[in-house]
Amino acid sequence: MNLVLAGMNHRTAPVEVRERMHVGESCLTQALKDLALHDGILEGMIVSTCNRVEVVANADDKDDAATAIRQFLSGYHRCDLRDYESYFYWHRQQDAVRHLFRVASSLDSMILGEPQILGQMKQAFAAARAAGTLNGTLQEVIHHALAVGRRVRRETALGTAAVSVPYAAVELAKKIFGHLTGKTIFVIGAGKMSELATKHLISSGAAAILVANRTHQRAVELAQAFRGTAIQFDQILQYLDQADIIISSTGAPHFIITKEWAGRMIAARRNRPMFFVDIGVPRDIDPLINEMDNAFVYDIDDLQGVVDANIKQREREAAWAEQIVEQEVQRLMRHLASREVAPTIMALEEKLNRIREGEMERFQGRLSSLNPQQREAVEALTRGILNKILHGPITELKSGAGSPEHGALVQVIRKVFRVGD
Amino acid sequence: MLEVGVYTALLWSAVACYGLGFVLVLPSVRRRRPRLSPWSLGALGLGLLLHAAALAVNTAQTGRLQLTDVRSALSLFVFTVTAAFFLVYLRYPITSLGIFMLPFVFILGLISAFHPPPALAAGSFRGGWLLVHIASMMLGYTGLFLTSVGAIMYLIQESELKSKKPRAFYYRLPSLEVCDELYYRSLVFGLVFLSLGILTGVVWASRTWSGPWQLDPKIVASLVTWILYLTLFSTRLSGAGRRRRAAYLAIFGFAAVMVTFLGISFVSSQHGFFPKLGSNP
Repeated sequence: MNLVLAGMNHRTAPVEVRERMHVGESCLTQALKDLALHDGILEGMIVSTCNRVEVVANADDKDDAATAIRQFLSGYHRCDLRDYESYFYWHRQQDAVRHLFRVASSLDSMILGEPQILGQMKQAFAAARAAGTLNGTLQEVIHHALAVGRRVRRETALGTAAVSVPYAAVELAKKIFGHLTGKTIFVIGAGKMSELATKHLISSGAAAILVANRTHQRAVELAQAFRGTAIQFDQILQYLDQADIIISSTGAPHFIITKEWAGRMIAARRNRPMFFVDIGVPRDIDPLINEMDNAFVYDIDDLQGVVDANIKQREREAAWAEQIVEQEVQRLMRHLASREVAPTIMALEEKLNRIREGEMERFQGRLSSLNPQQREAVEALTRGILNKILHGPITELKSGAGSPEHGALVQVIRKVFRVGD
Repeated sequence: MLEVGVYTALLWSAVACYGLGFVLVLPSVRRRRPRLSPWSLGALGLGLLLHAAALAVNTAQTGRLQLTDVRSALSLFVFTVTAAFFLVYLRYPITSLGIFMLPFVFILGLISAFHPPPALAAGSFRGGWLLVHIASMMLGYTGLFLTSVGAIMYLIQESELKSKKPRAFYYRLPSLEVCDELYYRSLVFGLVFLSLGILTGVVWASRTWSGPWQLDPKIVASLVTWILYLTLFSTRLSGAGRRRRAAYLAIFGFAAVMVTFLGISFVSSQHGFFPKLGSNP
């Protein structure tokens, strides 16, 4: 196995450079076939997203895959790769495996724990399989990378807590109401964040949507988009008690919802909880409402505080995820190494055994005077010598797996014992 | 007696498993895992099986369900609470549920295991009514314990949400809705069985005891507890103003239950778990 990976991500290269190196989805198959045509390249895969470009190849043991990859990139993008050299990182063998595992687990992503990368890698995997450029060890490595990504997702909370303001609002709503099915949302004022939060809430099961905006036309548009009802702006307070979750972002200079009115509404709702999300600046909702029973008011700073706390949590989880990744890297490398040495070990055992049997044959005449027990003892003796001689080489072959000198060691042993090739 | 030895050994093993199960819950809570580890559940399950075996052995040994001494009663209570933990966890897989319930299980289990076996089988304590009474009271107490657990979780989660700064428990507790549901459902469950228990107890006592058994401290305490929880019946945790009061009542109420259960056992002459018999017919 001779794995080489060349790549760039949001940390090593600005967006213009990443754009330049991007391989579009429609061009992927051709690019992969191109890559495989280069000397010594046995397998290849390309992952190209808005935040990274990764080219990984498995080459013949003797060849330098890096040169082939460079040639491919220069040729494909019709550029002089030296201009872009500083933006690339290179990984080989175990480091390449580790990098792939980390990427799949979203540990290398701009936002730790983001869910898209796994799907993107799956797509790249499928494309390479379809193009016929994944049919050996590299395929196995990628297959494991995807499994590790799933394992990290399952066993850590890396991707769970919300790290954007709209998602944080949804997370809080779930902490208050449990499930959101059947809950009513009142959107006051249109805005990017309100719309995002509302979309998320709807996909989590919220049913009825009420929309109000100073420009009623806009409210009607939004209501249509959300399949809800538009409310006249001056009638907001009348409908407020129907809402479980209120998202307000008008930025009006005074409070739209006062403490007094909130108190009346909560009583009218027989004390079912109410969640106020106030994204407006200046604030639309009197923050003192938070002190009332069954009312929760979060303004934009509060939501950002939740996001910050969640990011810290993700970083803690990342430490666990790195442990899992490292564990899996070691496991795979040991497995691959033992697979590689298995034929060598077998060939070694076979060869020495043949020598032993040959010699036994040659000395048959001189041993004929021995009785069966003694002959058995001689057989055992020769086998014993063999095993003790083999013990050293076999132990060395099995251990040291994954280390860069290991390949050389295998070659040396094969040469010294005149095995194979 | 060999049988006593087996029972004690099984009980100790069960308690040890409970302790182990509790310890194994801690990493899952600390790491904010969405589920408890199968090891902790396995240890608790094993403990439950051993405990069931202990109860079975005890029954076989004495020829009838042994429920009237402190150790047996406590032991049975620990059993029902642990079984309840599993049932609740099945419905609400809350990792931190273990933190709230298992220390209680373990400590009570220790007390019951440490407690000396009864000197003699209490003669006056027989009868079908008695069995139903004790079983109902056990289930009733278990329900009310769960009510307190739900109330505590609700209060903690609510305070974290109000503070708007997610701290340790925010991530580990379920939604307010779930806490409230647990609180309310276990309240209903507990009250139903407590009512049944008091009723059957009254029936049995009127048949078995002469004298003013109505004034026995344990019975009085049970009635007070019953009335207390009945007042909570009409409120949910998210009800107006009464919510916080309800939660504190539930928690205080359970402390009262424990006093009733443990403390008065040592005091009451007729209703005690000591085989100190009052005036017998």
